[in-house]
Order: sequence, then C-alpha cells, then structure tokens
Amino acid sequence: MPLPKPTKLFWTVLTIGLVVTALVFYLSRSKVDYNAEVKPILNEHCISCHGGVKRQGGFSLLFRSEALEVNKSGKAAIIPGDASGSEMIKRLTAKDPEERMPYKHPPLDQKDIDLLTNWINQGAQWGNHWAYTAVAAPTIPSNKTGFLGLGGKPDWTNNHVDEFIFEQIKQNGLSPSPQAEKAILLKRVSMDLIGMPAPETIAQQYLQSNDPQAYQKLVDQLLASPRYGERWASLWMDLARYADTKGYERDDSRSIWRYRDWLIKAFNENKPYDQFLVEQLAGDLLPNPTAAQYIATAFHRNTMTNDEGGTDNEEFRTAAVIDRVNSTWETLMSTSFGCVQCHSHPYDPFKQDEYYQFLAYFNNTRDEDTYDEYPTYREFHNKDSLQLLKLEKWLNKNAPEQAKALQFFVRTGQPAINSIQADQLTNAALADTKWLVLRNHATARLTQVDLTGKSEILFRYTSGKPAGIWEIRIDKANGPLIGRLQVPATKNGWNLGTMPILAIKGVHDLFFQYQNSQLSSPEESGMQFDWFYLTNPFPGKGLTGYDTAFAQFKNLIHAKDVTKTPVMIENPANMQRPTQVFVRGNWLVKGKAVSAGVPASLGKLPAGAPNNRLGMAKWMTDPQHPLVARTMVNRIWEQFFGVGIVETLEDMGTQGIAPTHRALLDYLSWQLMHDYGWNLKKLMKEIVTSATYQQASNQNQTSQQKDPYNKLYARGPRVRLSAEQIRDQALAVSGLLSDKMYGPGVMPYQPEGIWNSPWNGAYWKKSDSVDQYRRSLYTYWKRSAPYPSMISFDGATREVCTARRIRTNTPLQALNTLNDSVFVEAAQHFAFKVQQQCPKDSKLQISKAYELAMKRPLKPATSLAFEKLYATAFDQFKKNPSSMKAMTGPLPAHQEPATAALIVVAQAIMNTDEFITKN
Amino acid sequence: MSHNNQQLIDAANKAILEQQTRRHFFRECVTGMGAMAMGSLLGGCNWLGSKDQSGLAAINTNPLMAQAPHFAPKAKSVIYLHMAGAPSQLELFDYKPDLQKLDGQDCPQSLLEGKKFAFIRGVPKMMGPQANFKQRGQSGAWISDHLPHLATVADELAFLKAVQTDQFNHGPAQLLMHTGSARLGRPSMGAWATYGLGSENSNLPGFVVLTSGGKFPDAGKSVWGSGFLPSVYQGVQCRSEGDPVLFIKDPAGMNRDLRKASIDAINEANRQTYEEFKDPETVARIAQYEMAYRMQIAVPDVMNINDEPPSIHDMYGTQPGKSCFANNVLLARKLVEKGVRFVQLFDWGWDSHGTDENLAIDYGFVNKCRSMDKPVTALLLDLKQRGLLDETLVVWGGEFGRTPMQENRDGKKMPFKGRDHHTEAFTIWMAGGGIQKGVSFGETDEIGYSAISGKVDAYDIQATILNQLGFDHEKLVYPFQGRSFRLTDVHGRVINEIVA
Repeated sequence: MPLPKPTKLFWTVLTIGLVVTALVFYLSRSKVDYNAEVKPILNEHCISCHGGVKRQGGFSLLFRSEALEVNKSGKAAIIPGDASGSEMIKRLTAKDPEERMPYKHPPLDQKDIDLLTNWINQGAQWGNHWAYTAVAAPTIPSNKTGFLGLGGKPDWTNNHVDEFIFEQIKQNGLSPSPQAEKAILLKRVSMDLIGMPAPETIAQQYLQSNDPQAYQKLVDQLLASPRYGERWASLWMDLARYADTKGYERDDSRSIWRYRDWLIKAFNENKPYDQFLVEQLAGDLLPNPTAAQYIATAFHRNTMTNDEGGTDNEEFRTAAVIDRVNSTWETLMSTSFGCVQCHSHPYDPFKQDEYYQFLAYFNNTRDEDTYDEYPTYREFHNKDSLQLLKLEKWLNKNAPEQAKALQFFVRTGQPAINSIQADQLTNAALADTKWLVLRNHATARLTQVDLTGKSEILFRYTSGKPAGIWEIRIDKANGPLIGRLQVPATKNGWNLGTMPILAIKGVHDLFFQYQNSQLSSPEESGMQFDWFYLTNPFPGKGLTGYDTAFAQFKNLIHAKDVTKTPVMIENPANMQRPTQVFVRGNWLVKGKAVSAGVPASLGKLPAGAPNNRLGMAKWMTDPQHPLVARTMVNRIWEQFFGVGIVETLEDMGTQGIAPTHRALLDYLSWQLMHDYGWNLKKLMKEIVTSATYQQASNQNQTSQQKDPYNKLYARGPRVRLSAEQIRDQALAVSGLLSDKMYGPGVMPYQPEGIWNSPWNGAYWKKSDSVDQYRRSLYTYWKRSAPYPSMISFDGATREVCTARRIRTNTPLQALNTLNDSVFVEAAQHFAFKVQQQCPKDSKLQISKAYELAMKRPLKPATSLAFEKLYATAFDQFKKNPSSMKAMTGPLPAHQEPATAALIVVAQAIMNTDEFITKN
Repeated sequence: MSHNNQQLIDAANKAILEQQTRRHFFRECVTGMGAMAMGSLLGGCNWLGSKDQSGLAAINTNPLMAQAPHFAPKAKSVIYLHMAGAPSQLELFDYKPDLQKLDGQDCPQSLLEGKKFAFIRGVPKMMGPQANFKQRGQSGAWISDHLPHLATVADELAFLKAVQTDQFNHGPAQLLMHTGSARLGRPSMGAWATYGLGSENSNLPGFVVLTSGGKFPDAGKSVWGSGFLPSVYQGVQCRSEGDPVLFIKDPAGMNRDLRKASIDAINEANRQTYEEFKDPETVARIAQYEMAYRMQIAVPDVMNINDEPPSIHDMYGTQPGKSCFANNVLLARKLVEKGVRFVQLFDWGWDSHGTDENLAIDYGFVNKCRSMDKPVTALLLDLKQRGLLDETLVVWGGEFGRTPMQENRDGKKMPFKGRDHHTEAFTIWMAGGGIQKGVSFGETDEIGYSAISGKVDAYDIQATILNQLGFDHEKLVYPFQGRSFRLTDVHGRVINEIVA
C-alpha cells in the first residue's frame, strides 16, 4: 500500500514539533555560565561603553546591582527572568541602526544573543571570576573515577602535579616525553633553583650516581645552597623595583642594599611566604619590630625620590604612594589595580573609591620625598653600637618612660617634622625645595603642630653667621611667643640644636621669625633647617651618668659610620594625613574623603586585624584571600617553565589570559597555604620532582603541530636564561665567580660613558678584583643607566615594578656575549682552566671545554665545527703574534697561539644557543 | 603583467600580510608576549596558523621587519632635535617688542596669582628680549640674530608658537614630550614608530639616539625607552666616541675573518642544537648572530663621518673625532639616508636660569645657539639637496619654554640674566616630511606669557608626527594590563593647520 501523501497539516505539525523540540532543548540546556560564556561577550562588545569607564545612558554591566538599575531611558536594561521585557535584548535585536546595539558596530551573532537571552531568563546571575574566589580544597584527578581509564601509562606520574598535566595531555591525544638526560636535567634544575650551574662536586655526585634517589638529593642540596637565596632575591628585586639610585633627573645614590641582603636571607631561611610578605608590607607595625623587620619594609621604599630642584615634594610623595598601591596589586595579587586610579575598573569588580580606600593604608607613612629619604633605619657599627647598648641600658634604668621614644628616635629619627613642610615664607625659601632657609627678617610657618606634653624642640640646622635670633610664635605671626633662641654659627655642616619652648597644650601653627644684624645683604642666608623634633629635655638630669648618656644620644644622632636604609614608619596619631579620592586620577583635584579599607569584592580584614597596613597585610596572607597564593605559585611556575599557568603574571582578572591548568594552579596554591604552611622550598620541590618538569624538551613534528607553545606540557621547558643567569653562568664556568655575599652594590667593568646624569657628579668606579666577579644581583643598579648587559637581555630598568620580563632575541644580545669584556675575560679564564685540566691535545681540550660548559659530551659533528675554528684561529695567531697577545692578555705564560685559539673556541662555546638556554 | 611587476606585487602582498599578521598578533595576543620570544614566536596564540610549523619560518618573524602604516605616509623617517633644558623662545622665535618696554619692572600680580614656578619666588622683574629680531625670507618669520644661518632657511619651517605643557620640571616634561606621560614606564615616540613601522635596514637599528652637551637628558634613558613594549623597540644609543654601539667592536686580537669563522662555528653548533631539540628559538638565534655580524660592519660604517667631503664638514661645522652636536646632526642625516626610521638627538645645556655664566641667557645661551644654528641649517639644506627633506620630518624644540620674567631663584637677584621654566607657551618648529613651508601657527600675548590662539600640546605634536608617518594615533595601540595603550593616551589632535 502506498503511503499517504504528506498533507499541509502534516508539515505544520512537523514544523511545530521541531520548533518545540528545539525550544525544549534550548530551555532545558544547563545553566549559562556567566564567567565562561557571558562575561567574554560583555567584555568584548559592551563594557567599553557600559562599564567602569563610561556609563552610556547610565547603563553599566560591571556589577549586577548597577546593571539592574533603571537607566536614563526610564527602563531597566535587564529584568531578571524576563528577557523579552529587558531593554538590553530589545536593543540588541532592534532594526533601527540608531537603536541597535552595539552602537555603530556590527550586531552580535544570533548565538550570542540567544545566550544572553537565556542568561537573563535564568535570572541574570553574575558570577565571581575564578581568580576572585577563594581557593577551595582540590580534587586530585586520580581520586576521580576513570582517570587512569584514559589509557595512559599510570607509572608516568611522580606526584599529583603530573596527574593534572597528564589528564590534558591524554585528552589532546599526546603522550608525555621521556625523562631528560641527566646532564640536561642537572643544568635545568640548577638554573631554576640557584640561578647558576651547580657546584662541581654536587654536579659530579649526581651525574655519577646510580641511586634512584640521586635527583631528589640533588634538589635538596640545591635548595639548601646559599646560592638559592641569591637566585630568588634576584627575581624579587624586579617586583620590588630595587635599585641603588633614587631615580628621576639626578638619580643620585640610595643606600638600600640592606633590603637586598634581607631578601637573600629570608629566602635562604625559607621564611614562610605569608610572614615574608607581612614583614615587607608592615614589619614596622609588628609588635616590638626587630631591625630586620624594619629593613624588610624597605620593599616599598624602593619607590623613586625626586631630587630635581623646583619639584613639588608632595607631588612625588603622592606618586610614590600610588606606586606602592599599584605594585602591591600587580606583583603580589596579579591585578591591574592602577586602572582604578582614574575611574572604576573597566572589567573587574573594583570601584574607584576602593582604590583610594586601599591607598589610605599607604598614605600615612612618614616619608615625604625628602633629599635624605627620611625615615631611614640607622644601623650602628663598632664603637657606636656599643654606645647605643650603653645608652639603652641607661635609659631603661633611669628614664623607663621616655626610653622607648628616645631609642626609637636614635634608630629612626622619627617622628620629626621635615622643614620642607614650612609655608608662608617671607625672606625665606625652601632651598632647592629641600631645606628651609631663613634670611634676615624672615617669617615662615609650620602648620598643625601638636605641642601637648612637649617642652623642647630638637632640630638639625646650619647657621652661617652668629648672633641670629630665632623666635617661635603660635597661631599667628604676632601671636604669643613660645620660644626664643640666639643661634650660634655652625661649622662643618649640619648641627643639632635645642630650643626650650613653653609647655602648651593642643595643636597650633608655629610662626618662625628670624633676625640677624650680621647678615650683610637681604639675600644672605641666616640659618637652614633639615627637621624639627618635638620633645622634652633629655631625661634624668642630675642622675649618675646623665652627662655621658646625653652625649651618647647626641653622638649617635650624628654618627657618621651608620648604614641608613629607607624604611616605612607610620605617622603617629597626631600627624595623620586624610585621604581623598583624586578626581579622574588628578592628585591636585581632591574629591570625597575616604577611610582605609579593602575592596568589597575581595572580602574583609580577618577578625581581630587592625585596620592599618598590618591588617591589610594579614588580609592578603589570609588563606581566604583568592589572589596572593595563586600569584606566587604562578610566578614560580613561570620561572621553571618559562610561561605561567596564567600567562599574564600581572593580571589574573577577566582580561588576563585564561589559565591552562586552573585546577593545578588551585591545587598548588592550596598546598602552599595549607599543607606546606607557606613553605616555598616544599612547593618548589614538588614541582621540580614532578615527571612533568623532568621531561626532555625535544620537539617533534607531532608536538609542534599539536602544541607549538607547549601549553599542555607534553615536553619539558626549554627557555633562554635571564640576564643575570647568563652573566653568572659565564663567570661560574670560567672559574672567575666570587661567592662573596651581601654588602653595597658593586661595579664590575662597564664601558665609559654609560653614566651621565645631569647635576650628578657620580661616576662608575670599577670595583677591585673580587667585587668585579660577584653574582649579578650585587651589581650596582642605576635606574637611569642600568648595567648594559642586564638591559640587552631583557632586564627591567626598575623605575616601576616589573611583574614579568618579556624575552626577546636580538642581535644586540649576540654582540653583548661576543664582545662585552666580561664575557671575553670569562672566555680567557675558561680557556686557561681547560688547559690546566687538559694540557696537551687541542681536540681533547675542546671536548673538555664543552663538557665543563654543558656537563654533557661533545658530539662529533659539533666538535668538527669547533676544531675547524681552532685551526683557523691557530693559523692566524701564529702569523700574527700581536693579535695573539691581545687575545691571551699580558701574562707571558699564556702567550701562545694554542692558548689564543682555545680562547676563541671557548668564547664560541659560551655563545651557543645551548649554553645560554636551559634545555 | 611583466614578471618583474608580478614579483613586486607579490612582495608587497607578502609585506602587507606579514604586517597584518604581526599587528594581529600584537592586538589579539598581546598579553601573550611573555611566552613570545621576539624573533621567533613561541607562545600566546597560534598566529602563524597551522600551516607553517617548520621552525625555520621563524627567521621571517624578525620583529623589526619593515611594515606598512595605516595610510600612505608623507614622511619615511623622523629626526627629532631636542634641546634638553628648554631653550628660550623669547630670544629666538617669539618676538615681543612690548616685553622690552616692561624690562626691569615688577611682574604684575595678575601673572603670578595661582601660578607655580620651579624657581621664581615672590615678585620677579620682567625681562625684555635679549636679542635682536628681524623678519626673514618670503614668509617674514621673526628669527633673532642668534640664528643667522637658520634665518636663511626660514621659508622651510613651520612654527608652532603656542605649545603648552603642564609639567614645569625637566624630567617629567621631557617624558611627557616623548612618551605621552610625565611618569616613567611608557614607551617613547621612537619606540612606537619602530613598533609600527619596523626598520628599513635590517643591519641597523630602527630607532637611534644620539646625545651631546656632556650629559644625558634629565629624564634619563627612559625618554628613548620601550616602556611596556618589547625591549627590541627601544632606542639604540649610538655614540661618536668609543664604540658607536655598545659591544659592536670585536675584542682585541679578533679580526673580521676570525669573527666570521667564529660565528660560523657558533651557528654550526646551533644547527646541531636545532636538529636535536627542534626549537624555533634556536633558528632565530642563528639569524640574530648573522645579523650581529652584519651590524658590526654597517654601524661603524654609518657612524664614520670621516669620509664625508670637506664641503659637508664645512657646512655642518663638524669636529671629527670629538663628541659634539654638529657631528650628531650629520650622523642623523647619514642614518635616515640608510633607512633608520627615527633618529632622536638630545643636546644638553639649554637650561638658562642665569645661575652661572654657561646658563646665562646673554652668554652661555648665545653660545649654545651658535653651536646649534649652523648644523641644523646644514641638515635642512643637505636633506633638501639629496631629495630627502620631503620624506624626512625634522622637529626642533625643548620640553617647555622660559618665562618673560627674569628668574629670582629663592627670591634673590641672580648673578646672571636668566629665565625660569615656563609651561604656558613656547615654540617648536617642524620642517620637511609633508609639513607646510614658511608658516606659523599659534600666537602668544604681547609679552609672550600666555598662548592666546592655536594652542597645541605634546599629544598634538605626537599625533602629528605619527600622522606624517602614516599612522592614526588613535589606532596605533598596544594592549597592556587589560586596556589598549597609545602614545597619545586619550588626547591628541593632528595639527592639520601645518600639514601640507
């Protein structure tokens, strides 16, 4: 029987049926994922006009509360549960080009509109971006059913890291690479953990051992090496924007190397990372801080200080505070918070006010862009440190109430009022905007000085002529006189003076007046001030030892042999600065006042934490904080693998690149905070002992096609060494490297004419023999003219923090390692060393040199290339003794064509890709 | 179509394709820079697609490869002559006879209220022009007697007489002028240009910096830094004393043949390494060593002025063997002739405060003018006679201007005549590179204190320079930290009034 012909009804039913099926399918689809599906559409198409920067029509999509508001049109763009009633969907599908969104841009794809429709119908829920959600206890892949059923070789995994990696390798149809050969692994792990080749004994032990635990032992030895602290301090110095100069025009020297040394020690002691951060951010606010805890706070005193004449110190103080905020976020919390300075964050959940609330934590330190970078922590040496012990003992016994404040003053010079705070100047000036100068008939004002409980001013000054009379009145220029002093002339620069003042209560403006009949012209300076310290006469007058103690006090304040390190010291309660929003980020246009706080989207201070820098640091290091552990784990991963799990180390927000292995990042972050108690060495050990890390890095057709950028880690990392590592390795291999640690920056050879700052007579003074060959992190770092090879190999200038160095590959790098005398000298010494170990046969020497450099045997084909070079060089040097001598250097014992030729070969070996790369 | 033409078109298409690809790369995968080793591409996103994974293709990914801009450029290269310290417009180009009448009188309060100066305190005295002015050429431009040579080419110049800035300290003002921000950390103009255009000569850097006057500019090397752009785009400082580029010279005892042999050996070893690891980065390194070798010849060659004919030396007033501004100006011509995109000169010593003889407006300043006048004029004439002026944009200026008042540092009388930093009006001129000839745009009031019409700022100048190079300054962007950054930030207008 023939089938009946399909009728109209049939088609209608079929069509309806299909539509209904599609609709049911559509509506029944699982919940739309805001972060994965919606946010990317909003970020790409909507948020530049309807977000943190612009709110066209009043509409913003940044926060749910904002998006649901009724807009200028009188309508709500989004009505949760009602897409068809939502203006947003109407506008996305409007016909009229004036109405249709995105305005003046192509319409959205239908599938995106459908997705947004679904999302609104499902209630338009906003989701928290993963990086702003606390790290949760991880699920290990092997605990999931079916993990090993994927068909890989289960014995590949060394630890949990591998399980996370293995999952994705398999899913993408790849398989892991075999373990790298020992020599390659040795170099890789040495460079990663200590930033230079492993010491020869440790290296040979590992290479020659058959112990299955040999690699673990090697890792333990490297982690225990003092070189470990140097390597990681070197990285941290980029984040801290460490430099030995102040920056800006004059770029004068700054003494802050004690902070660098603190970093090295902190890493070597394996200070738990939470404590490591708390001490750097707020060591000064810890109970009874130690000297080291003060030094740690120099982290945020690495901001620049502007000594250029005529600059506004408040402007550059503000710039430093802003830099502290931005660096804290960028380097420790992978967030581009700097955006929020001028407007709410365009993409991420931070409001503009929140920037200034956070800034308020940093806005009350004593530093004010002064020339001497006050406050500094003063460390005394030799006789002075003994004097200080005696003074402290005497004060504790005889004046216990004042002892603490006076000791603190000797150590830090705080809390003092800097003379640059003076205003309303007549016949007075801020000389070079650095110091207050009074001339004949001068007046000047210091505002808002708390006089309660004070009866003396201690001040630092110079005075050119005797017989000057300095008076202080309060509240107005002709107000009540509270102090008067005949000021003697001073010699030899700065002196200390004291002026007794009437004991008055309250906060007052102080008006200075100064007259001196001996001044010959109205333009001659009478006296110049550095700072003022409101105090009381030195205590214990009449008690035994008073005179000695008082003398010690004054001597110590003026001691010459002092190491001064700029540190953070909080303003006392009576010197607090208010914080206001800067309108559109302009520091001169102050908006509403704000008090200190952390962004609402990232939780609250932990219970019991004070609402100051210390509380902020505790908030950051609380395991509930979503960003701090992830940021550090990601950074360490990047150091080992060349790329972070989140490639954008500086930004884990919605505009950063998505993580390749988010579960792994969370697993390691959880481990770091919970199981490892913030122990970084344990974290590193877990990563470098993973099978993932130990894979060979060789690529092949398949891996190149399927994973050209090694995002799946089906092979080991192959990454060019950092600037510091390249130099350190050359020095180490040649035998020149000094293992001397700590101390002020050193000046190895650098070509003439690199330094040339205006108004600054400083010059590069080449260090003596040992100091020339120190590890690169000890090289004196001048911001405006850094050591050349550091820059050509992508080092940072460290004007601001550098969360990530971008690797480049340029001819200037080749010229650097070919011709910079550091590398030439290293090649010479390397050749001498090889000759000593292997006196005769040139072919043997070449393979010896290669083995010493690479820790693996030289292949015949490569050997041929070097032998040919040796022969060419030997011929030339034989014919031309003067170039031979130029190549070998002045010692007659070295002046042989064979030596010169070996130097040329040594240099070539040290310029190979294999040498400057961890393979 | 002839075979040759077809070849040309293929080459052009290839260049465009590569340019798009690279910009695409920067635009789409920028944040992926970390993994991307310049010269090869290892990370971020799959920008070459899946077609070419051979690794050897990496050689073609030279980040300095010549690129086409947004639209047809009027200038191929830029020579920017920065007089660091800020020369006085009132003694050179902005002629104010009325100021002479006020000479020695107290500055009116109206000019001081609410204003901030770097060094002037209290009430300073007005100071008339310390130079004689004449109108020059067909255009009748006012140029003082301090610049007798430049006066002869007045009709080539386009003056901007109402340039303004908001920075009155050297460092920040220089940064603003060259990086679009008074704070550190942004790429310089030359870095942007090189990022956009690449280099025409693969044996020379795309962006060269030359300094004179004994000091670096106040803002240090950041004024030619690459900021957040990859470091390959930073200015390369060439020097007329010592190595012309750092480490360009082979070590003592190494001659060219031996260097060649040694690079051959290094690259042979690198080829073995590539065979073993198949890492495209290794191929890029091979290319960089080859290029380094060629640079070692090309750079000293272009930096050697000794072979120039005597007539050229006379014209520029060069002093071979010494480090001086005139030598640098001649070098600038040689560099653009060889295809360098952006040549930046800084001449230090123009900060005429009157604090000493060298910084006196009536002494040291006059000498500085003399040392600048002849070579700069020669540059314009020389470029012209070589047919290069049309395609080379020459810019001359400082970071701000100088006050019509005499400086009274700390409220005192100064030992010499000087002027303080002034932000409200100063003069910059441009020539060549598609800029109108013999014009002047912008005016100041009768004493040269305020700009009254035709005001422009650093962003406008940057927008104009990029425009001449064929870029829309709003579109030459680099995404960083979640947003697109550009040289002109959110500002800038092309000064069409002087564009030809």
